[in-house]
Amino acid sequence: MTSLLSGRGLVKRYGTAYALAGVDIDIAAGEVIAIVGPSGSGKTSLLHVLAGILKADDGTITLGGQRIDQLSETKRSELRRSEFGFVFQSGMLVTELTAEENVALPLLLGGRDRNMAISTARTWLVRLGLGGKEARRPGELSGGEAQRVAIARAIAHRPKVIFADEPTGALDTKTGHATVNALIEAAKETGAAVIIVTHDRELAAMVPRTVAIRDGRIEQPVTAL
Amino acid sequence: MQLALRVLRVDRRTQVSTVLTALGVAVATGLVLLLVSLPFATQSRAERTLWQNPSFWPSEVAHPTVSWAGSEDEIDGQRITRIDVAPLVDRADVPLPPGIDRLPAPGEMLRSPELAHLASGRPAAELADRFNASPAGLLGDEALMYPEQLVVLVGHTPDTMPANATELAALGDGEAHLDGLLALLAGVGVVVLLVPSLVLVASASRLTAARRERRLAALRLAGATPAQVTKMVAAETGLAAVAGAVIGVAVSPVLHSLATWVAWDGGTWFDHDFMLPWPVVVAVAVAVPVLVVGAAVAGLRRVVNTPLMATGGHTRKPLSKGRLLIVPVAALAFFWSLSMASESQGAMLPVLVSLGFLMWSPTVVGPWVTSALGGFFTKTWRRPSALLAGRRLRDDPKAAYRASAGVVLAVFAGSMALTLMPSLESEAGYFSQYKDNVLYLNTDTEHVGEVVSATDAGLRRYGLAQRAAQVGQVSLRGGPDGFYQGYVVSCSDAKVLLPTSPECASEPAIYAPSGVTLAGLRMESVSEDGAETTDTTETTETLMALPSDAKLVTSDSIGSVLIDPALLPSGAPLTSVDVAVPADDTSRESARTALLAASGGAQVISKEMKLGQQDTQLADLRRVTVIGLVTASVLGGLSAAIATAGSVLDRRRTFGALMAAGTPVRTLARALRAEAALPALVSTIGAGALGTAVGVGLFGLVSESVPVFSPWLAAPIVLGALVALLAASVCTPALNRVRAEPLADE
Repeated sequence: MTSLLSGRGLVKRYGTAYALAGVDIDIAAGEVIAIVGPSGSGKTSLLHVLAGILKADDGTITLGGQRIDQLSETKRSELRRSEFGFVFQSGMLVTELTAEENVALPLLLGGRDRNMAISTARTWLVRLGLGGKEARRPGELSGGEAQRVAIARAIAHRPKVIFADEPTGALDTKTGHATVNALIEAAKETGAAVIIVTHDRELAAMVPRTVAIRDGRIEQPVTAL
Repeated sequence: MQLALRVLRVDRRTQVSTVLTALGVAVATGLVLLLVSLPFATQSRAERTLWQNPSFWPSEVAHPTVSWAGSEDEIDGQRITRIDVAPLVDRADVPLPPGIDRLPAPGEMLRSPELAHLASGRPAAELADRFNASPAGLLGDEALMYPEQLVVLVGHTPDTMPANATELAALGDGEAHLDGLLALLAGVGVVVLLVPSLVLVASASRLTAARRERRLAALRLAGATPAQVTKMVAAETGLAAVAGAVIGVAVSPVLHSLATWVAWDGGTWFDHDFMLPWPVVVAVAVAVPVLVVGAAVAGLRRVVNTPLMATGGHTRKPLSKGRLLIVPVAALAFFWSLSMASESQGAMLPVLVSLGFLMWSPTVVGPWVTSALGGFFTKTWRRPSALLAGRRLRDDPKAAYRASAGVVLAVFAGSMALTLMPSLESEAGYFSQYKDNVLYLNTDTEHVGEVVSATDAGLRRYGLAQRAAQVGQVSLRGGPDGFYQGYVVSCSDAKVLLPTSPECASEPAIYAPSGVTLAGLRMESVSEDGAETTDTTETTETLMALPSDAKLVTSDSIGSVLIDPALLPSGAPLTSVDVAVPADDTSRESARTALLAASGGAQVISKEMKLGQQDTQLADLRRVTVIGLVTASVLGGLSAAIATAGSVLDRRRTFGALMAAGTPVRTLARALRAEAALPALVSTIGAGALGTAVGVGLFGLVSESVPVFSPWLAAPIVLGALVALLAASVCTPALNRVRAEPLADE
């Protein structure tokens, strides 16, 4: 499989401590992988570096063969807006907006007009089983429902890669698994790759490929492409 | 208290909030102490200068010890207060006020240090010679209204005192009266500046509000009682408030020291003028923190009653439309109190209370207006920034309005002041029967000849060409208009002294407006007790003894009757007699000196004297208005900036996630600016209109004229909008800090 997103020799330091100590990783288009590791292993740092939220101190990152690690913050921000989607542990929804407005927000920021953005948002909410709850506020949804709104927000603009950082951290096991399934199914529809960071090995077992990280290094060899 | 201290030790944002809250309380305490001290300062001035106040007349004096006369003079636009005294008992037995070591002997004078300094630098003809006395010492500070006051105490014998002298039991006898205008302004100032100060404090304490709410909500859910939660908040806020009050009291002498430089009624202040009685200081130092803690505890309603709702993200009940009623109710109360005040001549407390109520009303209406704005944007948005701003304004209008509350009040105060100022200025004016360049004094028929001769001698001595003229006045009845003011003055003198005069005849004549005949006029006599009498049977023979064959010249260019002195029969009833001298800019001060020296203390009247007091008063009003407006605007801008920054911090995680997902800072900044600026723009326009209406109402208390509306009325609104936008722009730096670590918790 051709690599969509690759990282080579990634290093990230915080003072004298290494969050990443030379990581190589490849993710193919449409692939779903889980990055697992204990607390402080560097899994979240790896996610943030691959997503362009943090800049690596060393190493290279390519997306579709183009280097993206050297882009300016403005360009990286543009990239995150157009090519990437994010699902955070607590959803991080805007509490003042309704469910459909939260989902439409990235589309609006990308320049889509209001009607198209809202229509797309409603479509995805229905697909994720939230039909009839478009006008609800995040505080009026259950934890699982809020995470599905976050998934819809992450996927509505058809990104190439979805980054999910502990997406089930605040959910019970059953709801968590249902959420991950919803994420994987939604990604399949659009062909997006999904990178899930989790400490939950049971959850990691649900996805086709798992990468273990410890002390800033990949523990297991990367599966050959 | 232990919990409050622990939170303060470990949480950086709480530390920042505590410091800002303490600073806000310090500002509020310092401002209130300063404003409350103003009436005491004017009282202090009034008590020091009881011996100078020419408007005070004691009702009865059983054992007078001193004859006293007061007048005002001026030089180069500066007021000179002149007091003439003569002992009625042994000079050593005359009670003297502080600052006056001894009563000056006849021909001696005591001068204020500034007057002595001024006189040493001017020719005697322009100043020193006015007093006809030799310097015998200086007046002490305890006898002066302000440090740079120009005041002189001239000694006489009782028979050389001015005609208007009165007898007093002691020099400095009487009761001091407050400067009512400054007391009113101090009251208005307390209302106008205390509220923005408290809004600043509220904004500072709200930096931690969301986090504190969550913490307290968690404690409530864990079983803490409402009383325990209330005590915790009181302890947290109380720490900052007490510290702030102590700082405010400590730095208030600095504020007072700065205030001594702000001139009022002609001069600056002594440091000790602003000293407050200790009970007042303690009362203010206690009241301000109590207000602050009370407001913090009142804000706990949501946490105490519905701790689950404090976690946010729920659709809230919209604000009641009934809030809109508060403005007309407050306005009605204010205008009712105004009508009561104008009827009862000075019931100002209800006016001030209702003014405060009116100024509080935007706090109630403002959030509703903000919510309505938000509702408008949530229905009509096209850009994401408009959606975010609209939802935020709709979701939490109180928080959104809070950012602009201080600015709104500054606009209200500014509009009120700028409605009053031009209107009061238009009231200023000067009317005189003489031309603008004429100096004159009033005397009696017995002494007028001496005064004229002595004035002319002085004018000759100073090398001046002009001469003094005697101008008598009579009241005339009859003619087409029924009443005429008559001046006993030659036509040539009238041309020099009066604003309008006819073409002069070649012989002595009587000049009158067209339509007047000599036969139709009669003089009114004034009896000894000042009552007017008319005795028609004696009129023809004794009151109007004008020669029937006197030349009469009528003219359309005059409105009064001019009678040549040669035609006035002896014993004619003059109502008053003036000695008048024309002067130009170069001869003005010397001419004034000649008149004053000749009159021995009579009041010389001129356009500068009459307008000077009005100009001083208006300049004082303008000065304090500008200082008040700038102070309120700074406070408003600071509170708006703190509130906006706090709003970003409260939503740090959400903004961070949006930025991590690629939302440009400029989009979020645009939304935040709209959130902060829109309510401020709408509210400032409303506050401007309300302030203007209040200004019109207050002007109506002092005048029946139509108020003058100046284009400067737009200035407070523009200032308010600019301050709001400026304060809103602090969100970009705040967002940039979030962008540095978008997914960090703090």
